[in-house]
Amino acid sequence: MKKLFVAIVLAALAIGAIGSMGAPASAEENPQAAEHKRLFREGAKLWPLYCNTCHNARPGSEKAPYEWDQIMMHMRTIGNLPPQDAKAILEYLKAR
Amino acid sequence: MFSGRLMNFQTQQAWTRLGAHQGTNVALSHRWVMMPAGRIFSTFLFALGIAALSLAGPARAADSDGTDAAAMKQIRSEIRQMREERKRDREVIRSLEIKVQQLETKDSKVQAGTQHLQNTDQRLKETTLELQQTNVQVKTLQTKVDAPIAPAQFSDVFDRYLGSHTFTVTGAAGGQFIYDQQSGALDNLHHASQNSFFFDWEPMILYRPTDWILFQGVFSAGFGSTGTGTDLSTADFQIFLNDYMTVEAGLFDQPFGDWYETQSPMWVNRFVTAPLPFGVEPVVPPAELGIQLRGGMQFGQLGQDFDYTVWGGNGPNFSSNVLGAALGGPNTVASSQTNGKSIGARFRIYPLPVDSELGRLELGASTFNGKWANGNWFNSWGVDFNYFVGNLQTRGEWVESYRQMPNGLNTDHRQGWYLQVGYFLNGLNVPGFPDKLNSYIHRLEPLVRYSGVNQRGISTDDIAGATGIGLGGTQVGLVPDFGLSGSPSLFAPHAREVALALDYWIAPSIVWQNEFDIELPRAGGLFVSPGGIETPAGSVPNDHAFLSQFTIGF
Ligand code: HEC
Repeated sequence: MKKLFVAIVLAALAIGAIGSMGAPASAEENPQAAEHKRLFREGAKLWPLYCNTCHNARPGSEKAPYEWDQIMMHMRTIGNLPPQDAKAILEYLKAR
Repeated sequence: MFSGRLMNFQTQQAWTRLGAHQGTNVALSHRWVMMPAGRIFSTFLFALGIAALSLAGPARAADSDGTDAAAMKQIRSEIRQMREERKRDREVIRSLEIKVQQLETKDSKVQAGTQHLQNTDQRLKETTLELQQTNVQVKTLQTKVDAPIAPAQFSDVFDRYLGSHTFTVTGAAGGQFIYDQQSGALDNLHHASQNSFFFDWEPMILYRPTDWILFQGVFSAGFGSTGTGTDLSTADFQIFLNDYMTVEAGLFDQPFGDWYETQSPMWVNRFVTAPLPFGVEPVVPPAELGIQLRGGMQFGQLGQDFDYTVWGGNGPNFSSNVLGAALGGPNTVASSQTNGKSIGARFRIYPLPVDSELGRLELGASTFNGKWANGNWFNSWGVDFNYFVGNLQTRGEWVESYRQMPNGLNTDHRQGWYLQVGYFLNGLNVPGFPDKLNSYIHRLEPLVRYSGVNQRGISTDDIAGATGIGLGGTQVGLVPDFGLSGSPSLFAPHAREVALALDYWIAPSIVWQNEFDIELPRAGGLFVSPGGIETPAGSVPNDHAFLSQFTIGF
């Protein structure tokens, strides 16, 4: 009875271990990377709309990332942009 | 029936299976079952022996005694053997239990190991991502770094580079040529056709000491036929208190409506000149020295936003106490002569969700109120809109103000508006034109703007004092820094203007703008001398102007 039990437990463990090493790691993404991707996509959607409201939208390639940090603070104030949208646009601008 | 049979069959099978796997236990229990039967048998033999003894007599007694003793001995030895077997079985069970325990411990160790592996995997992925991002930044920087640096030193230099570059210089520069043809004279007032070049430079400095403080300042310098001058347009701190509250304090563009704050910079304004209510005859003050609280939030789907700005400051001031006197610009707000102070509020709503693909619509309402002289109020309100979709952009504002006059004089009431429409031709392919020509056409944006002001009176002092384009006189700060002034038709109590423009966009913030203005002032209203003497305005000469400007926002 106990041997059978032990055998079953061992088999289950082996399957579990193989499963936990392989399957979930490939299916589930690193949450931080996923968040960057999400922000980038949202920024790409918002940029042509929000940044064209007052003047022609200025592309990310115009400025260095550290400059965008400052300019987006300025634009966030001047446009009273919702914080999460400003964050997404900043992500988009800095990646280009 | 069937199920009963099946059950029996299954029970049998189960047992068979159990027996096969648990030979030891089954054998054990078998022996325990056998044992009482053995005892009965031996007892029976014992009794039979005694009976035989009593029957067969003493002669046979010795024989039967020997048999019994042998049987007893065998029984005892069997019992001993069974005890030993039982003892061994117990030992086997104990050792098995120990093994199970060991296996269980090993299993939990395996699980911990797996978890550890997962964590390491996660960390590796994060590091890879960070490396990728750094790579992008490094690429940008590499173009700026002249001397090649060894990779080992590079990360150090990179950190220092980021640390020391919290300053950014932006701003704008523009050169203009203006031809203003005045078609008639207004008695006793300066008027002349202008034909001149101008240049204007407005650098802006952004300084970000931390991620929650930003300083921005714009310094302006203008050069032209009427003089050279410098000006501090705006200078303020922005302090990000939380996601929905930002404090802005200092000298700032009046956050009233859209024009002063968001449309006045040279490369932002689609025209060379300001619309009439924001030019030489402002209806609300263009700048304020004070403090604002502002923020924005999403109220529905993505793109459906609401924003607010509330502020207080030194309040409005005028070039003189007479009816129609011009409002002061940023250079004079600091010396506002009352203790009255001002308060203002602006709310804007953006009702279209991004996913609707209907473009962006902004609807706004503003008010600004304060005392301009001790005890005398200045009140104003306005509404504005801005809509753009694809290549079409249109915006407009309506503003109205009331200035309570001293000595019981009638209120100085002013109204102003503008409506402008522009359309980018970047989708237009003229058939038969070579591709090269069409590619130039794609950079064009034709625009039209209609603006007007209604005022009860105009101060002749303001007209005479206007030194022309840009500086001094009643010029309202640097919004934009130049623009037609000194022209009587612009200073008419009921000024109207149609402006046509053709912009050629070289880059999103580099533009060559050409504007043609047609002044269409209406009769009516008063000209007011510095002494307060009022004369009916009558008809005011019309004029036309052509302006060409090359400007860069950097
Ligand atoms: C509410 C109007 C408004 C919106 C929305 C807006 N801008 Fe601006 N932007 C301005 C004005 C006005 C200036 C000129 C700065 C000044 O003179 O104060 C400017 C300046 C800039 C500059 C020049 C550097 C600087 O800080 O002055 C850049 C780059 C820029 N904007 C990018 C953007 C981007 C990217 C977006 C999209 C998030 C954006 N803007 C949204 C009004 C706006």
